[in-house]
Amino acid sequence: MNEKIQRKIFQYFKKNKIENFVGVPDSTLKHFINEGLKNKKILIANREEEAIGIGAGMILANSPTIMFMQNAGFANSISTITSLIQLYKIPMIFLIGWRGYLKDDAPEHEKIGQIQPKLLKNLCLPNRILTDTTWEKNCKWALTKIKKNEAVALVIRREFLD
Amino acid sequence: MIRRDAIETVCSYAKNDIIVSANGFISRDLYSSLEKDTNFYMIGSMGLASSIGLGIALKKKRKKIFIFDGDGNILMNLGSLVTIGSLQPNNLIHLIFDNKIHESTGGQPTFADKIDISKIAKMTNYTVFSVKTKKTLENVLKKSQNLRGPIMIHIHVAKSKERSSRVEISPKRITTRFMSAIN
Repeated sequence: MNEKIQRKIFQYFKKNKIENFVGVPDSTLKHFINEGLKNKKILIANREEEAIGIGAGMILANSPTIMFMQNAGFANSISTITSLIQLYKIPMIFLIGWRGYLKDDAPEHEKIGQIQPKLLKNLCLPNRILTDTTWEKNCKWALTKIKKNEAVALVIRREFLD
Repeated sequence: MIRRDAIETVCSYAKNDIIVSANGFISRDLYSSLEKDTNFYMIGSMGLASSIGLGIALKKKRKKIFIFDGDGNILMNLGSLVTIGSLQPNNLIHLIFDNKIHESTGGQPTFADKIDISKIAKMTNYTVFSVKTKKTLENVLKKSQNLRGPIMIHIHVAKSKERSSRVEISPKRITTRFMSAIN
């Protein structure tokens, strides 16, 4: 996804009352994160689980929050997602960079990239993929879901190699 | 002093404050000592009480937040000390009930007897107190009312066979009543 749209996605959420963006950096999402840093809305944690804990606290304090992370870090956090976010019904949006979407991405992303869609399905975490043409519709969908106290995931594919 | 006594003592200074309690026996002890709507009892996601407490503290700057943590719990999320120490929430009081074992899972040892958690917290710019008796704990609690956080009170407790009852409120209910009470 190109730089311009990533920056637009950040601005869209900011305009729609998302107050905090907490996570761990990911190169797939770097323009989104950079836009957030420019707007002084980003909190970078040490690990994804820690980020989710902080984000959960902010949501409990009535301050809508988005988590951003790579799919590897999302996989690290499965127990936190099931035993905190889903169990306690905390309405959180996960924005996930999908490494390993391309077959020839780096080897460490291959396996987790392959199982990424199944992982979300098995967690019963409703999710949508954001593309250049669908992002606005799907971001809006995510905002509707959190208003109903549900947690959801939005995924951005890594469509380039470096 | 056993953990249950330490928790009861701290509770008498936190009657009107937000408390986030770590999973295992710590949440159970809090539930039997001071049940109230502004308690967030964790039953899973071990290690994250400090992070949840931080998130609340950053957004509720006028309220005091107590985190009831254990040695096993904080050792699982030591990075949170770095984050809390860096962000310096002045309304956050972090209590470590340190029995140097994983009591909830059968008393297996942690490394808290080898490495002093107080020293780590000092390195991350907390104001730190280390206490062993009920009397010192009370003095520190009184003193900390006039201090800026983040404060850590590292409480050395003895292991015990006492068991508090399970938290009998559903997690969903814990969330809704907690949110209505603090917002």
